[in-house]
Amino acid sequence: MAEEKKGRKNGDEESEIIVKAATNLEKEFKEHSVAEFFKKNKQMLGLYGKVRTLTMVVHEYVTNSLDACEETGILPNIDVKLDELGEEYYEITVTDNGPGVSKENVGKAFGKLLAGTKFHRMMQSRGQQGIGASGCTMLGQMTTGKPSKIISGKEGQKPFALEMVIDPKNNEPKISNYKELEKTFRGTSVQAKFKGVLYRDSDQGPLEYLKRTAIANPHAQLSFRDPMGQKFVFKRTHNTLPERPEEIKPHPKGTTVDDVLSYCKTTKGRTVSTFLTNDFDRMGAKGIEEIKKKVHFDMNKDPKTLTWEEAEEIVKAFKSIDFIAPSTDALRPIGEEQINKSLQSIVQPEFLTVLTRKPSVYAGGYPFQVEIAIAYGGSAGRKTGEQTQMEIMRFANRVPLLFDAGNCALTKAVQTIEWKRYDIKDPENSPVTVFINFISVHIPYTGAGKQAIADEEEVLEEIRLALMQTGRKAGIYISHKRREAENQQKRLMFYKYIPEICKAISTITKVSEDTLKKNMEKMVLTKLKLEEQQDAKQRAETEKVLAADENSFIVEQKPEKKKEETGKGKK
Amino acid sequence: MSEKEGKRKSKTVEKVSPKEIADRIKKTADSIATQINKQEDPEFITMQRGKSNVVWDEKKGYLGLGEKEITRTFLNIAHARKFMQTSMIMAKTREYLEHNKTASIREIYYELKHTVADTKENTFEGQDESDPIIVDLEHSVDTIREKLNLHANPKGTLYGDITLLDRMHHNDKFNAAKLGRGGWSIMSRVEPEEIEIVDSNAEYLLVCETEAIFERLIEEGYPKANKCILIGTGGQAARGARRLIHRVHNELDLPTIVFTDGDPYGWYIYSVIKQGSMALAAHSEFMSVPDAKYVGMTIDDVKEYKLEAVTERMSEGDIKRAKEMMAYPWFQNKEWQSQLQKALDQKIRIEQQALANKRLDFVATKYLPEKIKNKIFLP
Repeated sequence: MAEEKKGRKNGDEESEIIVKAATNLEKEFKEHSVAEFFKKNKQMLGLYGKVRTLTMVVHEYVTNSLDACEETGILPNIDVKLDELGEEYYEITVTDNGPGVSKENVGKAFGKLLAGTKFHRMMQSRGQQGIGASGCTMLGQMTTGKPSKIISGKEGQKPFALEMVIDPKNNEPKISNYKELEKTFRGTSVQAKFKGVLYRDSDQGPLEYLKRTAIANPHAQLSFRDPMGQKFVFKRTHNTLPERPEEIKPHPKGTTVDDVLSYCKTTKGRTVSTFLTNDFDRMGAKGIEEIKKKVHFDMNKDPKTLTWEEAEEIVKAFKSIDFIAPSTDALRPIGEEQINKSLQSIVQPEFLTVLTRKPSVYAGGYPFQVEIAIAYGGSAGRKTGEQTQMEIMRFANRVPLLFDAGNCALTKAVQTIEWKRYDIKDPENSPVTVFINFISVHIPYTGAGKQAIADEEEVLEEIRLALMQTGRKAGIYISHKRREAENQQKRLMFYKYIPEICKAISTITKVSEDTLKKNMEKMVLTKLKLEEQQDAKQRAETEKVLAADENSFIVEQKPEKKKEETGKGKK
Repeated sequence: MSEKEGKRKSKTVEKVSPKEIADRIKKTADSIATQINKQEDPEFITMQRGKSNVVWDEKKGYLGLGEKEITRTFLNIAHARKFMQTSMIMAKTREYLEHNKTASIREIYYELKHTVADTKENTFEGQDESDPIIVDLEHSVDTIREKLNLHANPKGTLYGDITLLDRMHHNDKFNAAKLGRGGWSIMSRVEPEEIEIVDSNAEYLLVCETEAIFERLIEEGYPKANKCILIGTGGQAARGARRLIHRVHNELDLPTIVFTDGDPYGWYIYSVIKQGSMALAAHSEFMSVPDAKYVGMTIDDVKEYKLEAVTERMSEGDIKRAKEMMAYPWFQNKEWQSQLQKALDQKIRIEQQALANKRLDFVATKYLPEKIKNKIFLP
């Protein structure tokens, strides 16, 4: 510290400097409105990379639409269109069949940054990737100077159209060109322009994002028109909306000091004891008794007066006390049948195995659940030129994670699996798609970009178990298939030499060439059949061993349902 | 084993007629056809070759092939293609024998090369695929390539007072001293039914490694002056040259003296002429000359003839080769062990042509006559 080095300033002078600095900061903060903050912190909000930014925009609009539909019980139909207006200049139009927004609320939905945060809700939700739909409005006007156009209509009301920008100084929407429309329309359509973004048909582009969103949301129908005019439709494969997730109280084990202090502000409890009892999961009289013993302040004080140090004591006490694991009822998996259908429809593999594991808990306080699918053959895997390599589709609460794969626990879990054991000898060169949906009321992202999940031990282990369980089934299919192919290859390999041999031997011996040929072919078939029988015997034994192996380390095992289905026999 | 041995050694190779070889091929094919029609996996049996099946026959003085056989079966993924190739070579060589035709091993390769029906592969992708199959067949029917009417590229030259008769070419009769300085190009097939050795007035056969020395000796009139037949091998002796050396030595009962460069490579050329090679161990009986003697160059010559200034340094390869050779059973005599050890100690080699350092005619007028007269040989 510079002041310390100078060593001359007394305490008063120091505090004076600090006060001055704080005042300046406050002033600056006021001048730089939230919108300004946004402008300066694009990186932190995940808005870096031209391709990534465009994908992010698509995500914000689509998530908005999905949430709106689900909250009002509508099966979502979402249409996304991209037009290239110039170099790194695009217009995006997203239209849904949702409930529509009222004129009163449209500003809040599209024109006010960081409004309506859901930050402290313990609930399984898609969550913002950082900027929300209002952020898109802001980004659009910042890069093009153009407003966003919104058309919205509610059931039984006249739809309206308007244009909107955000006033960056006071973070308020500015609406223009409002007019009512003489047609019937229910839903919301937003159209915005962006510069400095780029469309790519890549793993991280909007098409891949929508495809994966469709896979994880079988109840939604998504369509997309890319800038080249190509149309893609991902059909709805499940006609029932997922059950709404429940909000649960935070479990003491996953709580930080900051959390405690922010819950204090909204609690209805009048004493710290009632606050803790009311606002935390699994907090009973016994828990309160124990906390009382461990803290050095009066638990009857008003929670709103809790200091940082006191909150720290509470969290410390939480850590040392045993609580019942959190309830896992709030989790809403996609479901095996639903994943099965959507993957069949969208990935079109030859073989598919799906598993939804039972809920579990990580870090002592957060319930989570894992869904895994392994798709093999057909259009599974990622095509890179001539090769097809293993593709990992990561999802957090149904939201596709397209970036930061290397840092993500889901990727790491896949990498720790010995795929050779499941007859996937060379994952870099196999038509395999691994689907992983991680569900939790609180996703442990590694950073603000929210694209990678931290490697919590329980999470990694749970995913690994699920991968092994599904991998085993896939392995049985793949090895069977490989054997079939090998047999076929072997037969051809012998067959192709038969004519030349018979011709030569017949020339020397005058024995009928045809007879020789027939006998040689029979000989080959007999041999291969014999080998196959031996193989089958061996396979049966291997499977027995595998089954025994499974019991030895998988504790919670779902009853096996018949889920595998062989596709249409594509080559 | 004794039964097989009996079959194999029943007749010396030289006395077997083309008809009999053709019959042996047919017998093998008959057995294959019978197996096929019984729906049994057909077999083709040949001798295992290479170091692991080479034995040093001290009594006979040459390398021989051991008794290890290999069986090639069709229903083995690794063998199937070779099985096809073997049948094709069998049919083709039998055709040559029946029609009294000969072909080079390159020609038979081209004659048989075509696309296997409904595939993208050829019956033979290169001559390196057909050559080993030919050797397989030689061993399987207990004969040599020449008896299958096949031959490799000719190499080696003959000069001197020896009369030959070419039965395949108007029964031409010629003396190898009267064909000009170039002598007679040794054909790759010099079997008695093609080339007959009529007579000779020579007193010994001198085999030399380099064509340059061969020409030097002719230019100096050495063969005439010393009553010898001269064969130049031009490096490692080819099959035709080895066969001819063997025949001249045995049919004319002439001592055979070998003259090579004084280095591991040259000494190995001598050992192949004398004791046979590992690659053709099975054919040593009718290709080697166990009585052959070695005249030079030796490391001792360096001191004897004051050639210190014209030695060359041994290369890493030479050193490695010398060490290997010291371990071969047929180099286990004190003379050769000492020769190799001296080379290794001094790390030198001495070429035949280094003798030109004295005078061009030194090799013809002094070195060879003196050493041969005084019988200064290595065994």
